[in-house]
Amino acid sequence: MPTTKIATVPPGSQDLVAGDVRRRRRVQHAWFDLAERGGYQEVIPPTFEYEEVFTRGAGPGLAARLIRFVDRDGRLVALRADFTSAIARLVGSRLAGAEMPLRLCYAGKVYRQEPEGGGRRRELFQLGAELIGDGGAEADVEVLRLAIRVLKALRIPDFQLNLGDIGFIRPLLAGLDPDGADALRVAIDRKDRAALADGARTLGAPAAVARALVELPELIGRGEVLNRARSLASSPDAEEAIERLKAIDGMLTAEEREHVVYDLGEIRGLGYYTGIQFEVFVAGVGRAVGFGGRYDGLLGLYGAERPAVGFALQTDDLAELLPEADA
Amino acid sequence: MSTRRPLRIALPKGRMMDETLALFERVGTTIDPDVRDSRRLILPSTDGRFEFLPVKSIDVPVYVEEGVADAGVVGLDVLLERDADVLRPLDLRFGPCGLAVAAPVDAPYPFLPGGQTPRVATKYVESARRFFAGKGMQVELIHISGSVEIAPLLGLSHWIVDLVQTGRTLAENGLVVVDEVGRSTARLIVNRASHKLRLEEHQRLIASLAGALEASAATGAVS
Repeated sequence: MPTTKIATVPPGSQDLVAGDVRRRRRVQHAWFDLAERGGYQEVIPPTFEYEEVFTRGAGPGLAARLIRFVDRDGRLVALRADFTSAIARLVGSRLAGAEMPLRLCYAGKVYRQEPEGGGRRRELFQLGAELIGDGGAEADVEVLRLAIRVLKALRIPDFQLNLGDIGFIRPLLAGLDPDGADALRVAIDRKDRAALADGARTLGAPAAVARALVELPELIGRGEVLNRARSLASSPDAEEAIERLKAIDGMLTAEEREHVVYDLGEIRGLGYYTGIQFEVFVAGVGRAVGFGGRYDGLLGLYGAERPAVGFALQTDDLAELLPEADA
Repeated sequence: MSTRRPLRIALPKGRMMDETLALFERVGTTIDPDVRDSRRLILPSTDGRFEFLPVKSIDVPVYVEEGVADAGVVGLDVLLERDADVLRPLDLRFGPCGLAVAAPVDAPYPFLPGGQTPRVATKYVESARRFFAGKGMQVELIHISGSVEIAPLLGLSHWIVDLVQTGRTLAENGLVVVDEVGRSTARLIVNRASHKLRLEEHQRLIASLAGALEASAATGAVS
């Protein structure tokens, strides 16, 4: 008899059995149940694609984390790193003639390189939805509502959506030299007030812009923060972003509003999102368990000029948060 | 949401921990001396607002990024070496030191005779890589974890990249600083999710520490 041991799985991958499988299936069932009732149709993009699908829209952060290999014909192929890019490609090609708005949902794995020794998985389950072809605030609300509903359906305790609009921040960085804008972006991202004040000074930003920059880290809170942000808005674009958030706030129910925190100092989606952006946090989890927003520029990169809004949730994190009785 | 555990703050064991706790004392947070001297892994503050987690300095960013600690204090040098996705709201200004390139007295820098590729021993591989790449210099980095200053003596490397506080250790080993990589002071870092979920506690902490630093800057006090 052969005695050679079968190797274990590579770092960052894993077998799932028993309760780990049941919990993920339960999350996915609850998700598809809700999404389909909302008129969202499931799509299953391929597990691997030409790498340019992911490098085109997703920015350098994700492009550096693709798991790539060379196909038979020498072309570079990557494992699915992101559903939204794959769906944008699908809408730009096979679904180009589809009737709008298009409501699509999905659940499956994404694959990303991670540094060794960081304890991160290289394959993750995600679920999510995209609402394509509707640029209105109603569409923003529909997607936010869907995200809140699935978290409620799963009885995830103490979750919150931090909601902002990149249109509020973008004008603050407009017209700066690229190096200066870069330094400010980093300072905003790290909530480094001293660096923000320094940056505003050395770049010679107008007083109104400087004031808004220094206030950014504090522009977080319930509805009243929108009024404060409105008074700091430095341009018509920024004002429009706040009006949009107010309109959204007006359409949310009181129960939904309990889960929404307005957060205008988040800059992570710059270059990707064009309107609202949000992250989902759950008490006791050290990183966001979901993220989403409006990306009206993305589909154009794949040949389909359409507004779109969507989100993705980390299925694995949600599965681990399920109440014991549900597992 | 007020029934949760105190804010947990990761601190680097050693002098920076002493300085951090001294700063917290100025804003009214103390640790029972008996607890301080005990070998407990987590040290609660007497006001119940915080608990301090003493760890190795290079590990502070890991604990904070993963959310095991809500916040932490660590030198910028460590943050640059172990780039962590955390908020960095405050420069605490203590623990100043510089990361520098040092070479034996009279040794050539930045070029070796005959175009030889320089060998550089360091604990700070990432920072050194970025520094030399930024200068367009090609070097061979050797990662060692201690007593870096004897590497040139032993012939392991031509130069070293290491932290310099007074330069005394360097001088004792016949080395001099030939280039500056960067200056560093202690930073307050905060876990991104914790900042969102416990916003008021974090804002209060940041504001009170910033206030204490400004007060000591105004009176010229040395922390």
